[in-house]
Amino acid sequence: MSQSLRPYLTAVRYSLEAALTLSNFSSLEVERHNRPEVEVPNTSAELLLQPMHISRNENEQVLIEPSVNSVRVSIKVKQADEIEHILVHKFTRFLEHSAESFYVLRRTAMPGYSISFLITNKHTESMKTGKLVDFIIEFMEEVDKEISEIKLFLNARARFVAEAYLGEFVY
Amino acid sequence: MDNWRRIDIDAFDPESGRLSAQDLIPPNETVVTLQELQPKISQLRSLASSGSMDSAVKLATSDPPYGADNSTKATYFQAVLEALTQVRQSDIANIIQQLSSEQQDVLVKYLYKGMSVPEGQKQGGILLAWFEKLTQKAGVNPIVRYLSDRRTI
Repeated sequence: MSQSLRPYLTAVRYSLEAALTLSNFSSLEVERHNRPEVEVPNTSAELLLQPMHISRNENEQVLIEPSVNSVRVSIKVKQADEIEHILVHKFTRFLEHSAESFYVLRRTAMPGYSISFLITNKHTESMKTGKLVDFIIEFMEEVDKEISEIKLFLNARARFVAEAYLGEFVY
Repeated sequence: MDNWRRIDIDAFDPESGRLSAQDLIPPNETVVTLQELQPKISQLRSLASSGSMDSAVKLATSDPPYGADNSTKATYFQAVLEALTQVRQSDIANIIQQLSSEQQDVLVKYLYKGMSVPEGQKQGGILLAWFEKLTQKAGVNPIVRYLSDRRTI
């Protein structure tokens, strides 16, 4: 792990550990509803806690928005150029299509971020909180590697295609 | 009035018990103006430029201007951010050892705020180094207190 990535992940880990103290909380607005307070427009400000921004640079950021019964984690994945921008978009969209099988994945990302997770008290009750934090951290580690790997494959493929196609015109 | 069913009548009831973000900020904060804060800012700048970083950070993290308006807070925050980013990486752990628990809480607020604005994001590396050293000293405690503290800097 590179020298500047480690403090970034440590900060995210500690912030998540602090934020993931969720409790079962029924809606104050609607009878017999129990909804993630960070997602709904709500009129009671005390349910939302202070949001936490963690940024390594302008392109790599995490926003953690805690509330009484849910935490929303939005990640901006590194996008150095146009190709990476497209790849990140395709990759996160592919994951979001199968959001059900990831349990904590949100179907759409928050504006300005690449991918969002929504962790509610149901998840912390049925899963180990430490493992949830590990999952997010591991995702952040892996996604950078994955994107740069896809980019390498893409370049190799493009080179092969170009050679095969333009080979026709060589006399 | 065709959408009268959608009127939120509880919003008109002062007894409804609903709280807005303003209600949550603890009362009787003294209002600080930019003129009153100016000596502190210039003292902070002179301490940072003379190289006595430990006293600069201690000054920045004690008695923050909770009662000021947003533009005053932004001006003060700029001075604090400059001081924090001038510290060498090797000195950070030493300075954090000298901070009290209250000062650590305030430092966490400045770090999170620093990472949320573009000027601080350019210095993300040094702010994250501060954060890492702080969590090594105090663990998760200052972050938990940050989450529930409604006074912003």
